[in-house]
Amino acid sequence: MAITITLDGVEVSGNPGMTILDLAQESGVHIPTLCHDPHLVSYGACRICLVENEQNGALLASCVSPIAPGMVINTRSEKVMASRRTIIKMMLASHPDNCMVCDKGNRCQLRQIATELGVGWVDFQRIPHPAEIQDLNPFIERDLSKCILCAKCIRACQELVVEGVIDYFNRGFPSKPATVGNTPLELSNCTFCGTCVNLCPTGALQEKVKPHHGSTAKVVSTICGFCGCGCNIDLEVSGNLVVRAKPSEGDTPNGATLCVRGSYGFDYIRSPHRLTQPLIKVDGDFKPASWDEALNMVAGKLSEIKSASGAESLAFFGSSKCTNEDNYLLQKFAREVIGTPNIDSGGSVYNLASRNGLGGSLGFAASTSPISDIEQSEVILLVGDDPTTSAPQVGYAIKRAVRYKKASLIVVNSQDTGLASSARLSLSPEPGTEDALFNGIMRMIIDNGIWHKSFVSEKTAGFDKFSKSLSGYAPEQVERITGVASSKIQDAARLFAQARCAVIIYGSGITRQIAGDRMVASLADLALLTGNIGKAGAGIFALQEENNGLGASDMGCLPDFLPGYQPVANGAGLALSGMLEQAKSGNIKGMYIMGENPVALIPGSGEILSSIDFLVVQDLFLTDTAKLASVVLPAASFAEKDGTFTNFERRVQRVRSAVDPPGESLPDWQIIQKLAGAMGHSMPYSSAQEIMDEIAARVPLYKGINYADIAPGGIFWPRTNGNRFGTRRLYEDGFAQGFGRFSVAELREGKERVVPDELVPRRTVFQFGSGVRCAMSERLSAVRVDV
Amino acid sequence: MSGDIKAPEFDFDRLEEIIARYKGQKWSLIPLLQEVQRELGYISPAAIKPIAEGVGMFPSQVQGVVSFYTGLHTTPRGRNVVKVCRGTACHVRGGKTILKIVKQRLALEEGETSPDLEYTLETVACIGVCALAPNMVINNDTYGQLNPKKLNQIFSSRSRG
Repeated sequence: MAITITLDGVEVSGNPGMTILDLAQESGVHIPTLCHDPHLVSYGACRICLVENEQNGALLASCVSPIAPGMVINTRSEKVMASRRTIIKMMLASHPDNCMVCDKGNRCQLRQIATELGVGWVDFQRIPHPAEIQDLNPFIERDLSKCILCAKCIRACQELVVEGVIDYFNRGFPSKPATVGNTPLELSNCTFCGTCVNLCPTGALQEKVKPHHGSTAKVVSTICGFCGCGCNIDLEVSGNLVVRAKPSEGDTPNGATLCVRGSYGFDYIRSPHRLTQPLIKVDGDFKPASWDEALNMVAGKLSEIKSASGAESLAFFGSSKCTNEDNYLLQKFAREVIGTPNIDSGGSVYNLASRNGLGGSLGFAASTSPISDIEQSEVILLVGDDPTTSAPQVGYAIKRAVRYKKASLIVVNSQDTGLASSARLSLSPEPGTEDALFNGIMRMIIDNGIWHKSFVSEKTAGFDKFSKSLSGYAPEQVERITGVASSKIQDAARLFAQARCAVIIYGSGITRQIAGDRMVASLADLALLTGNIGKAGAGIFALQEENNGLGASDMGCLPDFLPGYQPVANGAGLALSGMLEQAKSGNIKGMYIMGENPVALIPGSGEILSSIDFLVVQDLFLTDTAKLASVVLPAASFAEKDGTFTNFERRVQRVRSAVDPPGESLPDWQIIQKLAGAMGHSMPYSSAQEIMDEIAARVPLYKGINYADIAPGGIFWPRTNGNRFGTRRLYEDGFAQGFGRFSVAELREGKERVVPDELVPRRTVFQFGSGVRCAMSERLSAVRVDV
Repeated sequence: MSGDIKAPEFDFDRLEEIIARYKGQKWSLIPLLQEVQRELGYISPAAIKPIAEGVGMFPSQVQGVVSFYTGLHTTPRGRNVVKVCRGTACHVRGGKTILKIVKQRLALEEGETSPDLEYTLETVACIGVCALAPNMVINNDTYGQLNPKKLNQIFSSRSRG
């Protein structure tokens, strides 16, 4: 039932529960606010949004006053304007007078509102707080003398990122936001995600490093180039310099939050160590070269190797950090221009488990649902990852669900994670035995008769065979294999199966294992068994290591799949491990690596790559891998090129060029295009958009995706429903292949892993990946955290 | 606050018992803090984290509440809390001099606690017995119509007794 009120003499209607401010904003009536933010719970701290109820003359804080039928509200009466002016004057009376030199400048909302209200001279006794600038950390500068106590920082820290680092301290005039013990931020549990800095209306919180002072000229909306969350960021640009990054508006995966990498880590793009021109190795030393020289040399060498040893002696390695367009073009170059099946990409090893495990059971080899479903779930099963460092948006969502929505968290991890303290149940199976644990849980669910019978009988196939295959997973047997007490397995089984809706989140901790595909298949079985697929608050989330890990696989930078997971016709090519083996034995003679640094991640690969006949690396920096190359081609970073990234939720999102690449460096797709030209093959694209048009035409998975339709928050593939945002949640109308298929569990006690534990890089929120981006970020690399 | 106060051991075992009793209760923070203060004398900064965990809040929130109320203390308090009234009536009747004498007598400034934890000196805005001004409260005893001689008697008898 709509509620009608009179707002500034005009009748407007809204829904019950709306505040006067909500309705005013919807009706285009401007009410100034300082403490209000749509991402935060309304608070009513600043009193700037006062409006007058004309029926009784009362002044109401519009951000916390619900609309009521027949209300007559004046947002600009004499009384309202006088109150707003008084409040602003009181704030200014205790605010320092140094706006002239404050870097918040015209972005300061206090100053904007004072100007709007015509407040100039403050005729109150001025009692400013003494300035006390705290800036020992490399990210955030605090000057609490400029704080107006709106509590946006406090609420953002509690409600959005759920760290609760700060809250009000003391009462009255001395009160201020403070950490426990009133310590500097760097001695608190602050993660420097920058959310508070972005929400602060005044100059109290600012980024410490200011490469530019004054107003910025333009804002470019793009996608963060770190992890697979695909946060939408606005890059503020001055000249050819990215000045700051802020979360974009819109229905994005990140809302008002980012992490320290997204907020501050982008400064690697302006590192003085960036490559600015092609390099050719002459007698062991790199010599600068022109693009023509470098590309002619690469074209000549590739042709030479191809004619001498066959196309199959060449291998290509795409990048989970480059755009879909870059990766599509690289595999096209490899398959169509060179004619080799040997194409792989960073992250494909991790995705292999999802391709086999999820693809086989459910149909699509990717997460089923948006991050927002995590917050609607009752039980969250988190397996083999610590999203607080690898996928911070997922970490925030889990913490919000547990703290504010009473969700129960089950952590399955052989290592300690940042979320263990939030967990209701923590299971630490022996590494490599996770599938046995999941099978044990499912056997208990079946034995207890608490599986989702109607879902299983209507929507799945293979249940009987699957159920029988679990016979070897009796509780005591599972306890023996995994080391997890059977009582705990029982608790997990009951908790998970009896939830109205539950989600499963898994990451590299299991996908990097040899039996990773078995483990993921078991998780898919668990979701099918409990009916947690295709509905709100349910689903499976396959976390990605890198910003475009899913996209690089989608684009067919895989030895066994063409773009869109169409099977290869003439036999699979070599994956990276195969390439390295064959390079060692001399069968792979030339390798082309785009935007990856395997030497930093794979032990022994440096030795092999240094012995290869011809190695081309295109990257931002002279990485450990690039140092071994015969030719190094300078590439553009995420902020310097157009294209799309596909995040782990399947959102295809727009990457936009904000600044020019340094020196002569070029976007990866243009380098490949030029190289194809040098080899006599025309790739007539004039923009990244034309490549996406070709992808949309050729790859069924990306059908209907075009730049014009990509709004903030992107398009979830597949866009078969014609919906502007694509398919947010998979399998709502059943499974593509008719049924969800249960896998048959084999009794397996093996504990072997792809990479031994001690060689798995330990990540922190400040350092992850292969040492290209974070290590080259001045701010991130200033932080040393022992792990 | 003088730095050489040797605080008595804060009884963390007792703290855990108190927290356990309030666990899972709604709006339990303030009664819990009051009980900790009553039982253990003050709320040690080190107690903030376990209290926050017990009531499911962030430590910064608990600290915010503790620092908001003058009735809650994060440092040990004297066995005798002296509150000298600085209300209008007491002021007119010489409360300022009374405060000065008490400060000298106890060798304490406002808000301070003696190193032997015998006395804490505070001032209050009004205790509501203006007819007897100037006034002072020690623990639960109220002393009115004060003068220097009477003050001397009060403190002498307390230290004897």
